[in-house]
Amino acid sequence: MLKKLLQSDRLALFRTARFKLGLAFALAMLGTIVVQFSLTYTQMTSFEFRRSGQVLNGEMKLLLAMTPEHLEYVIRERATDDLRLVVNEAGIFTASHQPIAGELRTWPDGLVADGKLHNIVMEPEEGSPYTLRFLAARTPDGHILVLGRSLHVLDEQKLMLRHASLVTLVPIVFFALLAGTWLSHRALTRVKEMHEAVDLIMQGDIHERLPAGTQQDELQRLAGSVNRMLDRLEQLMRDMRSVGNDIAHDLRTPLARVRVGLERALSGPQALSAEDLRAVIERAIGNLDQCFSIITALLRLTEIDNSKGRAAFAKIDLAALVYDIVDLYEPIAESEGIEFLGLCPEKKISVNGDRDLLIEMLGNLVDNAIKFTPAGGRVRISVSMTGHHPFIAVEDTGIGIQPDERQAVLSRFYRSDKSRHIPGSGLGLSLVASILRLHNAELKILDAQPGRPEKGVCFLVIFPVSDFV
Amino acid sequence: MTVTSLDGAEEIRVLLVEDDTDIAEEISAELKSRDFCVTVAETGSAGLEQALTGQYNVMIVDRMLPELDGLSLIETVRQKGGRTPVLVLSALGAVDDRVNGLKAGGDDYLTKPFAMVELIARIEALLRRPDDTRQTILRVGPLTMDLIDRTVKRDDREIELLPREFRLLEYLMRRPGQILTRAMLLEEVWNYRFTPQTNLVDVHIGKLRRKVDAPGEQTLIHSIRGAGFTLQSSD
Repeated sequence: MLKKLLQSDRLALFRTARFKLGLAFALAMLGTIVVQFSLTYTQMTSFEFRRSGQVLNGEMKLLLAMTPEHLEYVIRERATDDLRLVVNEAGIFTASHQPIAGELRTWPDGLVADGKLHNIVMEPEEGSPYTLRFLAARTPDGHILVLGRSLHVLDEQKLMLRHASLVTLVPIVFFALLAGTWLSHRALTRVKEMHEAVDLIMQGDIHERLPAGTQQDELQRLAGSVNRMLDRLEQLMRDMRSVGNDIAHDLRTPLARVRVGLERALSGPQALSAEDLRAVIERAIGNLDQCFSIITALLRLTEIDNSKGRAAFAKIDLAALVYDIVDLYEPIAESEGIEFLGLCPEKKISVNGDRDLLIEMLGNLVDNAIKFTPAGGRVRISVSMTGHHPFIAVEDTGIGIQPDERQAVLSRFYRSDKSRHIPGSGLGLSLVASILRLHNAELKILDAQPGRPEKGVCFLVIFPVSDFV
Repeated sequence: MTVTSLDGAEEIRVLLVEDDTDIAEEISAELKSRDFCVTVAETGSAGLEQALTGQYNVMIVDRMLPELDGLSLIETVRQKGGRTPVLVLSALGAVDDRVNGLKAGGDDYLTKPFAMVELIARIEALLRRPDDTRQTILRVGPLTMDLIDRTVKRDDREIELLPREFRLLEYLMRRPGQILTRAMLLEEVWNYRFTPQTNLVDVHIGKLRRKVDAPGEQTLIHSIRGAGFTLQSSD
């Protein structure tokens, strides 16, 4: 049953795509040949016409330069080589077209002695008609000299060409059909392989990839693109899975603490005093609040990621933004023993953005910087331009971020080993990344003081070229 | 943390429109323990009827309600000329939801889950909105703030304040005796709509307190455990 199905499938394929492609190839080949032959044909004709014209004109010029007696002798005896080889007919006529000398005894019909070339079909008494090219000119003594050249060489060549074409056409078309079918078969085989791979992927085997050959053709490039897309999708799926696990884990820990605390309070060996109970409940609420803050941050992330509208976008003065942030965070930096500086140029720099989101973004960056900078350190936030792009830099003198961790810190719930002990939802920087995506801004993470042990980190927020600058 | 009504003896009537019976029960129990008189409506239409017929000092309206949603309820009340302050409750915390809630005529917006103290503090704030903002001199106990000269004195002692400290103290002085939560301060004083991870507000209040309450002086800026802060003079 399956075999039959496959066969009919294959037959259908032959009937359709493969054969059509082969046929199209053959037709294209045929077309090429026809065009080539007709071009050769017309080229040959015009070449021969031009050549015969030159020959006749040249000969005429030579002959007219002779004395009448000498000319008559030459024509009569066909005394020169040229007259024998290249001029097939020659004759001298009186002005009233009566033959005087030469083998051409009758005046060709329709010939005018105007020094121009005329093609005239001769109809001999026996044999088929043939075409001659004539040139007639007046001699100095008032006669008319007629020279004629046969086109039979050309006719013969044309005939040969026609025969050759017809004979070669058959094997060529046959070959084209074969080659076309073979080529289309090859291409379609690759399409079929891809098709099968896609089917596998659709059945859930996300690790499957389209077959990658060695040729660098369009099909291969397409396969490459699709494979890269699949890589990205697989990565996203992995991320999502791990985010799911991380959420579960991050919520589970505080919830477990709540449960244990409450359980102990309820069924502990001795009844707890009112004060102890109060402490248990307060701890429970604290843990629940942590759960809620994680959920809130996640919802916020989703909200920002999904929001396409930039309804709240307006012209935002970056210096004012930095001023607000410094105003808000200066006391806390001071209480942590950290120097907090805001640097803005005199020139006003504005971007198109959502103030609340940008404040939230900067708040997160500064919050982080203060959290990860030891006392005696420095956090600096500055606004400037790089080329035509406005940027904000938030630098600290803290523990820094290893280059291989820089991409990861932006993903959800990531916390570097060094920062495990510092509380936080682990979502702050993902929030920053989401907000910046919405603003088409780029986030770069660099060493703030390269080469020093306390290298710190510099978050560079580069905005798109702004109309407001 | 008792709330006295604006004109003294009369009790404060609260309309709570909330379809989740557990939450409604918790809120009304909390409000009753603070001597509010609470009426609960469990559907939007019942809530609307109550709002239009009863006399209430403040309304708490959930956004998602059976029969008539919270925002339509508020809009209808406002169209009919009702000016009762409304606190909108919602499980939707997105910025847009908040904006829509305020646009519909809500006066404040609180996202679930919330701490009960937050709810009480906001209701109190709605009940005691500073009505005269044209005052140029604010006085609370020994504190005097001149809004024109931008000077603050405690009795005769001049207090030097940074602009942000001045702004914060002005906000506190306009609401003496009122509990102000951290979220309220962030929203109102700094125009902040998100929850920072660090104890920002505490640090700001701490700095202000060190300047306002000198050693040996009576404490004016009080921290209220689990709730927030209040500026109160015992005089």
